[in-house]
Amino acid sequence: MLSKTKIAAIVLVSSLAALPVQAQMPDWTGVWTLVGGTLYDRTTADPPDARAGDPGARQHPPYKPEWEEKYKRNIAAVAADRFPDPITMCGVPVGFPRVMQVVDGYEFVNTPKQTWILTENGPNVVRVYTDGREHLSDDLIWPTYTGDSVGHWEGDTLVFTTIGLRGENGTIIDRTGAIISDQARGLTRLRKREDGMMEAQITIEDPVALTRPWTVTKTYRKLPGDVRIMDYACAENNRNPVDPVTGKTYTLGPDGKPIDMDAQNK
Amino acid sequence: MNRVIPISLVVTLAASAILPMQPALSHHSFAMFDRTKEVTLAGTVKSFEWTNPHSWLQLVVRDARGATKEYSIEMGSPNTMSRSGWRKTSFKAGDRVTVKINPMRDGSAGGAFVSAVNAEGKTLPLQ
Repeated sequence: MLSKTKIAAIVLVSSLAALPVQAQMPDWTGVWTLVGGTLYDRTTADPPDARAGDPGARQHPPYKPEWEEKYKRNIAAVAADRFPDPITMCGVPVGFPRVMQVVDGYEFVNTPKQTWILTENGPNVVRVYTDGREHLSDDLIWPTYTGDSVGHWEGDTLVFTTIGLRGENGTIIDRTGAIISDQARGLTRLRKREDGMMEAQITIEDPVALTRPWTVTKTYRKLPGDVRIMDYACAENNRNPVDPVTGKTYTLGPDGKPIDMDAQNK
Repeated sequence: MNRVIPISLVVTLAASAILPMQPALSHHSFAMFDRTKEVTLAGTVKSFEWTNPHSWLQLVVRDARGATKEYSIEMGSPNTMSRSGWRKTSFKAGDRVTVKINPMRDGSAGGAFVSAVNAEGKTLPLQ
């Protein structure tokens, strides 16, 4: 029989042993915001000052020829306001990797066994398991918007992989119309830099759509002060519904009727 | 449908304007707005919807002949707007304001908010 003193000592030692794990995790508290807009790969933005959604705006992923043609068709659809962007439907997650480049606030929450990337906009959650588990097994995984993420710590850098994406059927990288296949795999290195910025270096490997790994770095700055995350839901008062047939985005007046000229002339 | 553009509109080309507060048009296409143009509207606030995913300013503009037209002006969401100093009281019904917008391409009475000044010429939001 163990004495009560010995049991107390074992409990204390066990507790102390668990402490360093938590103490090693970097402090990423606060509310952060994306730097540089929502065009995914700004290093190849064309034109260089393009915003995602501008007619004709694009980037240059290392696409195979067939996927370059798919992208060109999407670029033309964006310019014609006929691009079926899933997030315009209100309630559809933006998915990975787009979840790493939305507007509004971000929180990066470290816990001993998981890190959570929470976006105010959407809202969206990327849950990264860091407890040593593997990805969902082949007999469990299916195509989802945000995918399945597992990772580990390399010093103060969280390294995680993301698989199980929807691909062409829902993985939209940004409003230029960039897409990847359901065979895409993300490798993300997330850290707080010495200059105080958060940085996510995301490499997409996609043997179907890309000729080589595509690496993009997104940065986030900390919002000053005691910033409060607020509720955000696109369905709350959405005055920009999308025609599910044509993909056209309408603008509603306060009475709920379209103010668009072509809608009125129908 | 009245397609006559009110005389009070001043259209300016702003190829690379630095915008004080662009609405976070993340959740839908903004192809309907012409970001290369800015239109200045002088009018009276009818209402201000402080909501997700976008706040909306309803502005009544009177042209030189006395005819009025109501504009729907799209702004950001309360989270981001509040961090720039906006409050749901920043526009009140009856306020006389002058608002710059990126107009809708099809000429309909709406646009994306660019900036606003109050009757005293002070830039909104008042800090």
